Amino acid sequence: MPSTALALTPGLSSFLKSLKTNPIDTSIENLVSLLKRRQIRHSRSCATATAYLLLRVVSACRTSESTKLIERVQSVGRRLMAAQPREMVVGNIVRRVLGLIRDEAEDDREAEFALSEAGSESQPQTPRAFDDASMPLDRDMLGMRSDGGDRSSRPPLTSMFSLLSHPEPENSLPSTPGSQSPNARLFSHGHTKDVRAEVLEGINEIIDELGQVDDQIAAYALDHIHSNEIILTHTSSTTVQKFLLKAAAKRKFTVIIAESFPNNHEATHATVSGNIVGDDENLSFDSFQKPLIAHGITVILIPDSAVFALMSRVNKVILGTHSVLANGGLVAAAGTRVIARAAKVHQTPVVVVSGVYKLSPVYPFDFDSLIEYGDASKVLPFEDGDLVDKIDVQNPIYDYVPAELVDLYITNLGGHAPSYLYRIVSDHYRKEDISF
Amino acid sequence: MTEPVDSAPTASAQDNAPAQPPSQPATENPPSQQNLPIRDAKTAKDKGPAQSDKQPAKGKDAPAPAAGTESGAAAGGDKPLTPAELKKKAKADKAARRAKEKIERDGGAGAAGGPASGAGQARPPATPRKDVAPGGAAQKGPKAPLLRRGSHGGGSAAVEQKKKKEDKSVAVFGHLYGQQRRTTVAGAGKEVHAAVLALGLQLRDYVVCGSSARCVATMLAFKRVVESYTTPLGTSLPRHLTTHLSHQITYLSTCRPLSISQGNAIRALKLAIADIDPSTPESAAKNTLCEFIDSFIREKITVADQVIAESAAQKIQDGDVIVTFAGSSIVKQTLLQAHHDGKQFRVSIIDSRPLFEGKNLARALANAGLDVQYSLVHGISHAIKDATKVFLGAHAMTSNGRLYSRVGTALVAMSAKERAGGVEVPVIVCCETVKFTDRVALDSIVVNEIADADELVSANAAQQVTGLPDPAAFTAPPIDPKKPKGGKSASSAPTPDPVSSERVPSPSPLASWKDTHNLQLLNLMYDATPAEYVDMVITELGSLPPSAVPIVHRMSTNM
Repeated sequence: MPSTALALTPGLSSFLKSLKTNPIDTSIENLVSLLKRRQIRHSRSCATATAYLLLRVVSACRTSESTKLIERVQSVGRRLMAAQPREMVVGNIVRRVLGLIRDEAEDDREAEFALSEAGSESQPQTPRAFDDASMPLDRDMLGMRSDGGDRSSRPPLTSMFSLLSHPEPENSLPSTPGSQSPNARLFSHGHTKDVRAEVLEGINEIIDELGQVDDQIAAYALDHIHSNEIILTHTSSTTVQKFLLKAAAKRKFTVIIAESFPNNHEATHATVSGNIVGDDENLSFDSFQKPLIAHGITVILIPDSAVFALMSRVNKVILGTHSVLANGGLVAAAGTRVIARAAKVHQTPVVVVSGVYKLSPVYPFDFDSLIEYGDASKVLPFEDGDLVDKIDVQNPIYDYVPAELVDLYITNLGGHAPSYLYRIVSDHYRKEDISF
Repeated sequence: MTEPVDSAPTASAQDNAPAQPPSQPATENPPSQQNLPIRDAKTAKDKGPAQSDKQPAKGKDAPAPAAGTESGAAAGGDKPLTPAELKKKAKADKAARRAKEKIERDGGAGAAGGPASGAGQARPPATPRKDVAPGGAAQKGPKAPLLRRGSHGGGSAAVEQKKKKEDKSVAVFGHLYGQQRRTTVAGAGKEVHAAVLALGLQLRDYVVCGSSARCVATMLAFKRVVESYTTPLGTSLPRHLTTHLSHQITYLSTCRPLSISQGNAIRALKLAIADIDPSTPESAAKNTLCEFIDSFIREKITVADQVIAESAAQKIQDGDVIVTFAGSSIVKQTLLQAHHDGKQFRVSIIDSRPLFEGKNLARALANAGLDVQYSLVHGISHAIKDATKVFLGAHAMTSNGRLYSRVGTALVAMSAKERAGGVEVPVIVCCETVKFTDRVALDSIVVNEIADADELVSANAAQQVTGLPDPAAFTAPPIDPKKPKGGKSASSAPTPDPVSSERVPSPSPLASWKDTHNLQLLNLMYDATPAEYVDMVITELGSLPPSAVPIVHRMSTNM
């Protein structure tokens, strides 16, 4: 359905293009089918698509009642998650948006509380131009009424919340744009903005964060890579590439890249040699810079099997990931686990670079359920059809890497020990949204 | 190794002006002129993988300090320059020249594929001074920036090409890049037997692959050599046959480095030759040798394999899930034997690029009716999850108990030993004692074999098996489009349809990797699995722990 409507190949860019014109429900269907068919695959593409879709959903949702907004986002989120349960980034973004709405609702309640005491009421500001001018008033009325009702029933609860739980996240993450700035703006602008505008702004900030996350991570590169180091990495993760490129601007080191054969070797080869041939969705929306080799960095491409042989000479292993779980474990490209294991055996530090958006509040109990299996013909091409009939060919796409194999996480917030991740999780997602 | 590269631009920037005056005396003053080659040779040696981009800069960098020290020596120490010092200097010059010649010779040999480099650099050994001095002067002079700008074209194309070729050896493995593998029989000595000539090419193309197979094939070829051998007048068979064989051996080792088993077999054969009484008539001696070869193959390989397969098959129980890596002949025999014995078990084969040896094993086992699962290296952790035993073949067992086998074996053994939260999976190695060696290895770097990196370029799995022996086709990008299509039909060849253009890009990103600076491909053949990952080595002499390898090796060689 999405591909027939558009001449473009289905993917992130075509989805974003169609998002503006298509009605909401079509867009949701569109993304659901894209996710189902794995036409959107990279975590960041999924995250971006989800964020843009939710932006549309929230802006089209003609209510300022936070509960209704939450319900709407939840229902959309559930559909997206059901479409691709292993793509945890989608759930992460939905949860963050839900958290945003809840935050705003709470702030609003507090504000109402404070304002009614003060008795002052100013015209609500709507900085983002929404289609109709009559809306703000209605919404305000509605909000007032509902909040009033709310307040009468449970003001002590709200105040307890603000006493105990609320101030903490504010203080503990000063540098996340997504969660910090709305509050700051709120306090500076007064408490009169309507929930929806705030939420939209928050979503926009999430989208901004998604765009900048690799560069923010790369900013830590010089803290971790020193001269003449030998670094091993795996797959063609853009986060890792940017990280290394940043360090390459200042320092000379050697990079060994394992090609991650059946699933990502083409992209890896292209990244390594600098001639990007396939216009991957991954590469289309970030201006891909010069390859590492152009910076005078020696790049050695090896087959995955040679990792153990070379590990004794490697100083550091830097890995990208698909998503990070709350216990510090990883779901990363297949083959990552043996690399991390080999690094552990050789006492080589393993550094995982990942945006916070990949950090999922899910605790893995059933590891196998996290693993996705891919196209078996990549392992055994159809030329060997006689063989394919007789044997069971497996092509796992992801590996679960336990937390004890990782020494350090570098996110856009800085470096963390794997054991600290639960804390970041609790900063970013609200408890009530973890299983929505 | 990167430091000089860093400093080069700054040094050259500063020294451009001051470097000019000393460059004139350089041409007339022998010592300074000879200083140049020293520096040159040293820089060239230090940076095997130096990029040709930086080469002019480095050349410029080099003369500047040389000139500095020279002028310092001229100012401070010219008058009291003793004969001893002069002698020392002369000696250093000579050494430097020699080193340079050697490098150039090596470079020429390494770049056998590129005829231009050989042509450009063939002469220098004869007149190194003449060749270098003008070059050095040119680099120092105002021409230098010009050269740098046009670093890709430039007049020194031959030099650059040579540098580029050298570039491609990974620094850590510098010691493993010998001469390039022989590609044709051309240039082989006339004393090399036809059977050996053919075997050499088969070895090179992995037609004969696997430690045991290579050993057997070598011995059979040598048997034919012995059969067709006639002792020349004036020598005796035990004396001359050894040298005659060593020609064959040299040829074989240029095709592919000899395996441990081949080495052991050859050693045994040479011992057998030496044991022959010189007074024995030639035909009798040849018969003895042929019998020796036959019995060696029978005892050390054929029967040994049967014994190992039988005892290893007993280790397999009903319901087992056996994981194995790549395609070992002895493991195949073991599994088939166990299947023959009526055991019910499943086999999970892990395979790797670029050889895909496991595919043949999978085919053989599937044809025999076994339950086979197949995945690549990236699926190790999944395959090992429900494994109950790991069976591995060996290329060799080193004296410190390490298993030296196809690259990737160590990963499998490691995964078996470190399964998170589970019971350790026993790792069983099947290995004939002819593969035991008294060498020791701590890692996979000191002793290893590096295969042609072009094998990695083609991403297409199907081509890897069939079209391997043609690395030349992969290096030349224009041939590529036709290549994948070749097998299908002629109809698709004339029209470069969208399908072909879509499929072609997959090998292309790396097609020109040899011309891409700083990019290196590494295609290792083996890795060393630590002894602690191996629980048991099954040999024809019994099942041993890996620590027993040196003892068995001593026993079997003393026999």
